[in-house]
Amino acid sequence: MDTFQNLLMGFSVALSPQNLMYAFVGSMLGTLIGVLPGIGPVAGCAILIPLTYQLTPTGAIIMLTALFYGTAYGGTITSVLLNVPGEASSAITCLDGYAMTKKGRAGSALAMAAIGSFIGGTFATVALVLAAGPLTRMALEFGPVEFFALVMLALSLLMGLAGKSMIKALMMGMFGLILAMIGIDPVRGSPRFTFGRMELMDGIGFVPVIMGLFGLAEILENAEKPFAQVFIAKIGSLIPTRKDLHDSIGPILRGSVIGTLLGLVPGMTNSASSFLSYIAEKKVSKHPELFGTGMIEGVVAPETANNAHSNGALIPLFTLGIPASPTVAVIMGAFLMHGLIPGPFLFLDHANLVWGVIASFYIGNIMLLILNLPLIGIWVKILKIPYGILFGIIMLFMAVGAYSVSNNVFGVYVMALFGLIGYLLRKLDFPLAPIVLTLILGPMIERSLRTSLEMSQGSLDIFQKSPVAVVLLVLTALILVTPIFKFFRRGKEAIGEDDEGA
Amino acid sequence: MQRIHQIVALFSIAFSAFVAYDALDLEYYDSLGPGPGFFPFWLGTVLGVLSLVWLVQVSGRSGRPKDGAFLPGQAGIVRIVSSLAALVALAGLMNPLGFQLTMFLFLVFLLMVLGRQRLWMTLIIALLGSVGVYHVFGSYLDVSLPLSSMAILANIGL
Repeated sequence: MDTFQNLLMGFSVALSPQNLMYAFVGSMLGTLIGVLPGIGPVAGCAILIPLTYQLTPTGAIIMLTALFYGTAYGGTITSVLLNVPGEASSAITCLDGYAMTKKGRAGSALAMAAIGSFIGGTFATVALVLAAGPLTRMALEFGPVEFFALVMLALSLLMGLAGKSMIKALMMGMFGLILAMIGIDPVRGSPRFTFGRMELMDGIGFVPVIMGLFGLAEILENAEKPFAQVFIAKIGSLIPTRKDLHDSIGPILRGSVIGTLLGLVPGMTNSASSFLSYIAEKKVSKHPELFGTGMIEGVVAPETANNAHSNGALIPLFTLGIPASPTVAVIMGAFLMHGLIPGPFLFLDHANLVWGVIASFYIGNIMLLILNLPLIGIWVKILKIPYGILFGIIMLFMAVGAYSVSNNVFGVYVMALFGLIGYLLRKLDFPLAPIVLTLILGPMIERSLRTSLEMSQGSLDIFQKSPVAVVLLVLTALILVTPIFKFFRRGKEAIGEDDEGA
Repeated sequence: MQRIHQIVALFSIAFSAFVAYDALDLEYYDSLGPGPGFFPFWLGTVLGVLSLVWLVQVSGRSGRPKDGAFLPGQAGIVRIVSSLAALVALAGLMNPLGFQLTMFLFLVFLLMVLGRQRLWMTLIIALLGSVGVYHVFGSYLDVSLPLSSMAILANIGL
């Protein structure tokens, strides 16, 4: 009953004209970022953060989260119409989505994908509402010892799943942690790695770093080849047939469950949810041989799952204060910039904000359904804009975003440097996701470890005294050690096969 | 490709050695527990060990990376270097010339030279992206983008 009342209070916050506008702007920008090549949700959220400084914290978080789950909708459009995934999570949709386009059924594919996405996103939001109470109560029992162990487990999962090379994932994690050390020490207040520069006293600034690693690096990668013009096939009728609706019920239900559950696991990407739900549909189908030839199940299942995943991934952030993916880590950074610490205390100290944001997920999903069905023509027109223009506009907004973080050109230099680093790391198949997570979580990891050790006057026994911490740390060790055993047993490890990890 | 992986591994070892060495200047431990140098020292050390393992991996036959060109073609390199150089120039010129003039020139370069767009299209987008963004961001988002530090330009609103 409490939950229901809280949700009603949340709707009263989310339905204010101002917050409705923020949800709409976020949903629209999310779809736009999903549609546009050369910019993903991580960079998109990072660019938007400096522009939300002047908003209320509730408005800022509503806008950023709407952008986050909106990208999963937008990514479908290019997958279906162009055979080019706007986001990695929509890559598997290309198989049947583009095949449907070639058959003149793009409209049905897009319509069912949008409906599936809506149901998947809403399902995960219901799960968030139901999980909020129990998870928050559990998290309130956690002290710095348990928090440290929990973050270590989350990071080890992320690194274990970031790519095929654990060594590379760990190296990137360490690199992110080292970057997080720059600035004032969070416990004693002494400067570290600042080289006497005032700009580094507050840290290197995760916004320009992330824009560089994810936004600029992708632009540089696209610049390797000449900018090409796209050709778009006809969409056809947006009204799905009765058979499409009937065939989509099962995939939508299964995709919602798979996406929500995998969203809870740190390190699991949207792409993993899409892929697994596609495989699940193929397994249960009476005609698995027809997948890839334009089956509606092959479009609906992954699209439902990746939207459920996006909303599901917010559950650990809101309840435990743990980001499950790089984009969620950026959203966590936005919370911190607005003076809010995600986690159980958010529900106690800022109930209006947290329930307002949760309620806005329902509203944002409805807005996205409208944006992606009747207004599909607008996105198709945007797709026709030459990349030679788009990349200039993206660079403009990244430069403005990097500058406005601290009203200083230093941010632009940092972005340029990390753009180059990100480009080289991508070429060498290093996963970038661990950098973001550790960069944002670094100060918290350090603070919780040092506070724990100060409590025990430097003794590591404090970790053994907490059963929760012991279980979490043993799991962490198992996740990190298993690939090393495999490596020694096989005597080799594949190199250069990591996915992007973002 | 193997040589590039080895060079990057060596660079990573050097970087981690620098981090661990620099951390020694900070307090490592005191009566209360770990000091500011504790975490960076261990991070630098662990990164160094991981980089060393990676170097051994990529140098061995079994761990040899896939073959293939690391660098793109000459035209690709020109586009990448030009984009980065334009961004650095934008940062360097933004304070002396002001946001509007610098961004106008930046966009003209990106759209016309790299993007190969028509002059009229380039000029419209460059104007909206410089003067338009300056005023919209200043008026509606409270993001104050810099005016030129030169009085002659600042006096005419640039």
